[in-house]
Amino acid sequence: MHNFSAIEIRDKFLKGEISAVSIVESFLNRIATYDKEIGSFLEVFNERALKKAKELDAKLGKGEKLGKLAGITIAIKDNIHVKGEITTCASKFLTNYKAPFDSTAVKLLELEDAIIIGKTNLDEFAMGSSTENSALQVTKNPWDLKCVPGGSSGGSAAAVAARLCSISLGSDTGGSVRQPAAFCGIVGFKPTYGRISRYGLVAYGSSLDQIGPLATNARDAALVMEVLGTHCDKDSTSLPLGSDDYLNQMNSIKGLRIGVPQDFLKNLSEEPKKIFYEALETLKSLGCTIVDIDLNILKYSIATYYILATAEASTNLARFDGVRYGVRSAKAKTLNEVYDLSKEEGYGKEVKRRILLGTYVLSSGYAHAYYKKAQKVRTLIVECYKKAFEMCDLIATPVSPFAAFEIGSIKDPIQMYLEDIYTIPINLAGLPAISIPDGFSKSGKPMGLQLIGPQKGDVRVLAAAYAFEQAKPEFTAIPKL
Amino acid sequence: MSIYDDWETVIGLEIHTELNTKSKLFSSAPNRFGDEPNTNISEVCTGQPGALPVLNKEAVKKAVQFGCAIDATIAKFSKFDRKSYFYPDSPRNFQITQFEQPIVLGGTIIAEVNGKEQSFAVNRVHLEDDAGMLKHFKAFAGVDYNRAGVPLIEIVSEPCMHTAEEAIAYALAVKAILQYLDVSDCNMEEGSLRVDANISVRLKGETGLRNKIEIKNMNSFTNMGMAIQSEIKRQIHEYMNHPNKPINEVIKQATYRFDPELGQTVLMRSKEQADDYRYFPEPDLVPIILTDAYINEIRSQLPELPLQRERRYVNDLGLPPHNAFVLTLDKKLADYFEEALKVCPHARNLCNWIIVEFAGRFKDTGKSLLTSNIPNLHIAKLVNMIEKGTITGKIGKTVADEMVANPTKDPEEIVKENPDFTPVSDLAEIGALVDKVLAENPQSIIDFKAGRDKAFGFLVGQVMKLSRGKASPKIVNDLINKKIQ
Repeated sequence: MHNFSAIEIRDKFLKGEISAVSIVESFLNRIATYDKEIGSFLEVFNERALKKAKELDAKLGKGEKLGKLAGITIAIKDNIHVKGEITTCASKFLTNYKAPFDSTAVKLLELEDAIIIGKTNLDEFAMGSSTENSALQVTKNPWDLKCVPGGSSGGSAAAVAARLCSISLGSDTGGSVRQPAAFCGIVGFKPTYGRISRYGLVAYGSSLDQIGPLATNARDAALVMEVLGTHCDKDSTSLPLGSDDYLNQMNSIKGLRIGVPQDFLKNLSEEPKKIFYEALETLKSLGCTIVDIDLNILKYSIATYYILATAEASTNLARFDGVRYGVRSAKAKTLNEVYDLSKEEGYGKEVKRRILLGTYVLSSGYAHAYYKKAQKVRTLIVECYKKAFEMCDLIATPVSPFAAFEIGSIKDPIQMYLEDIYTIPINLAGLPAISIPDGFSKSGKPMGLQLIGPQKGDVRVLAAAYAFEQAKPEFTAIPKL
Repeated sequence: MSIYDDWETVIGLEIHTELNTKSKLFSSAPNRFGDEPNTNISEVCTGQPGALPVLNKEAVKKAVQFGCAIDATIAKFSKFDRKSYFYPDSPRNFQITQFEQPIVLGGTIIAEVNGKEQSFAVNRVHLEDDAGMLKHFKAFAGVDYNRAGVPLIEIVSEPCMHTAEEAIAYALAVKAILQYLDVSDCNMEEGSLRVDANISVRLKGETGLRNKIEIKNMNSFTNMGMAIQSEIKRQIHEYMNHPNKPINEVIKQATYRFDPELGQTVLMRSKEQADDYRYFPEPDLVPIILTDAYINEIRSQLPELPLQRERRYVNDLGLPPHNAFVLTLDKKLADYFEEALKVCPHARNLCNWIIVEFAGRFKDTGKSLLTSNIPNLHIAKLVNMIEKGTITGKIGKTVADEMVANPTKDPEEIVKENPDFTPVSDLAEIGALVDKVLAENPQSIIDFKAGRDKAFGFLVGQVMKLSRGKASPKIVNDLINKKIQ
C-alpha cells in the first residue's frame, strides 16, 4: 500500500480495488509499527480516520460522487487547526487547547474526502530548523535515526518519508516545508505567498507563512495544490485567484532558462556542490539552459528574516498570556504573574529567544535601525528576484548547505539560523519554491534541489519538479525502517 | 483681575466614537451593546490562535462619511498598524489601529461658543478596534469581550481650544455631526462616545507648549467642563507655588480622571516613561485604497449636516443664529421642531417655546422635553393658540406648567377646562375697564399724545391689572387706541 502514490491509491479506491478502511488500517498499522521509533505523530486519529473511511466506502457503494482526495491519508502539522482536536504547536502552553474552528486548508481537504489521519510534530510554534525545539517529543529522520528530520515541519516530513501516510501538510516561514523535505528525501512545496489560506494556521511570521504539501512525488503535491490553492474570504492576504488545473499542465520544460546564482553558491562545500551540479546536468538533459544570475543581495536575507519574522512573531504570540486559553501557571496570583509565569513555564528557550529579539527590534530607539531597515532590504530582495526572472524562468539552488545533521549536534542558535540561507530569501519575496530529492550524501542521507518560480508561477515549478523526477526516478526512494 | 489672568490654556481633545455597524471592525461578531457577557464574540475578537482579521467595509464608509462632513482630506491610501500593550481586555495584546497613515487628515469643526461662531481644526481621524471590558468582582476580575473589536474612529483635534466652553462646544458639535450622519449612537453613558482632554497652561505670550496631562473617563459634558476648569486652576497653582522649579518638572506627563464628588481631577497613573507601543504595519491586512469615485459618491450623498440645518433655519425660517444652533445641536430636537412646524408656522415663537420655555422647565429634573413624551403637536397647538390670541403668553406659561405635570394632556383641553385661561374678549366688559383707566390717568394720555410711547404701555398695563390679566391684550390695545383719538 505504502509503495503507491496518493493518486494511485485514490484511483484504486475509486475503481473498487481496495476499500478505504483497508487503506486506513494499513497506514495505521505502519504508524503503530514504526512511529514509536520515529516519533513523527503527536496524535493519531485512529477512530476519526476509520470513521471517515467507512463513510467513504459507503458513499462509493451507493455510487455517490467522491472528492479529488478520496481515500488519501493526510497528516496535519500540529500548528494547523482541525476543529475539535487539540492544536499544541508542540508547546507546553497549548497542550489543553482544542481548536474551536477548522482551518480552511483542512476544511477543503475534507470536502474533497481526504482522510485526516493525525497531527504531526514540529519545532515549537514553528520556530526552528530541526524539530529539536518541540517541547513534546523528539522526531527522528527515517533515513538515519541518529539524525534530525529537519524543521520545523519535521514530523510531517518524517511521516511521509516513512510512508506512514500518503501526504502531509506543513507550514513554511523560512524553509520549514522545503528543508525537512530535503532532509527526508521527499517532495516539499511552498506556494506563492497568499496562495493557500492561512486561516487556521497558528501565525508565526504573518507576511512569510504559507501552508505547503509534503508528498512522495510532484504530482501528489500538485493534486493538493488543486484543492488548497484558492482564494479564502477569511484571510485578507489571500490572493484573489481561483484554483489552477495543475495536473494537466505538467508540461515539458524543454527550452526553459534556469537561473543559477553561481557567485552566491561559491562557498558550498564539496559534496552538496557536486550533487547540485549533477542536478543541473539533469535539467540540461531535459532541454533547459543554465543562466548565471546575480543574487548577491541575498547575503543580507538571514538578518532581514530574523528581524522581520521575530518582530511579527513577538506580536503574534502575545495572545498566549494564560488569560483566555492555554495553560495558565498554577503559581500565578496576580495579573503580572499570570503573564510572566505562564509564559516562563509555557515557552521553550528558542521561542523566548525569538520573542525577545522581535520585541527588541521594534522597540523605541531601535525600530528604525532594525525593523524599518529590514523592510527596506526586503524590498531590495523582492526587486532582485524580479530582475533575475527577466533573464530566466526558474531559479535553481540547493535546499540546504548539507544533509541532515545529528540530533543535538548544533547547539549554537546562530549557527542553526545560518543553515537556512537558501530557503529564507524565498519567503521574503513570497515566491513559490519546491524541494525535490536530487541525490544522497556519502553517508546515504538524502539531499534536495530547490526550484524557485516568480510570484504566481506555482504551476511551472511543479511541472519542472515532475520532469526532474521522471528523469531521475532513483531519487524517489523509501528508507529501510 | 485674578491671578489667572496672566495665564492661558491649551486644550486638545481626543474623541473615541463607536461606529454603529452591524458587525465588528475585523470580525463578523455582532456589534451590540448591553447583551449578556461574551455572547457577541468570535475567534477573531477573542484572539484565538489561527484567527485572522477581515476589514468591515461599512466601517470604512462611515469613517469616510465623517471625514467628508468635516471637510477633511480623505486619504486614498491608508493602512493599519499593530499597537502592542498587555492588558486582559485586549484579546491579542495588540490593538489594530492606524498610526502612520490614517484614513482622514485635517478637517474643521464649526461650533457656537458664547453666542459666536468659532472654527476649530481637526488633526486627523483614524479607524481602530475597541477593547473588551473588565468587570471587577470580589474574588476575581472578569473580562467581557462583547466590546472587543467594535469599530472606533478616533477624532484628534489640534491643540486649538483655550477654555472649557470651547472644548464643550467643540465636543457637542462633533457629537451632532456623528448623530446627523447616523454613524454612531454617541451615547456618553453607554461608552459609545468617549472624550479625553489634553491640557497644559502657559503664560500669555509664550509660544512653546508646556507639559500636558491627559484627563480620561469624563462621562458627561458637564463633568468635562468641571474637570477642565479644575485642572486649569490646579496647574496654574502648581506653577505659582513652585517658582524656582524648572518649568518642565512642575507638571509631568500623567493621566488623570475626574472625581465628580471631589470636584477635581485625580491622578490615575503617571507617565514617567511614555509607553512604547512598538507600532509596525499590520501584516494580516492589505492597505485601504479608495478611489475618487468612491469618495465623491459618499460626499454627494451626505445627509443635511447640523451647520447646514442651522443656516437653513436662519435663512429660511428667520430664527436668530443662537437659537438655531441650540435647536440643531440635537438632531432629535430639530426633527421634533420641524415636525411641529408643519402645523404651526410660527417658527421663532415655536423655537423659543421649545428651547427656552419647556427646556427650562426640565432643567435639573433629570428629564428633557424629548424624554418627557410631550408630543410636538401639543407644543404646536400651544403656540398657535398664543399667536391667534386665544390665550395670552402669560397664560401660555401656566398651560406649559400643566403640560409638564401631565405630559400627555392636550393644551386645548387644558384651556377648555380652565375658562379663566381664555382672555375676556367681551368688548363691553373691557371697554368699561378702559374707560375707567383713561379717566383716572389723564396725564398719561397727554404724555402719549406728546410722543411718549411708554405712556401707552402704562395704560395697557393698568387695564390688564384691573382685569387681573384676563383681558385680551390685543383688544385692550385696540380699544385704548380708538378711545384716545
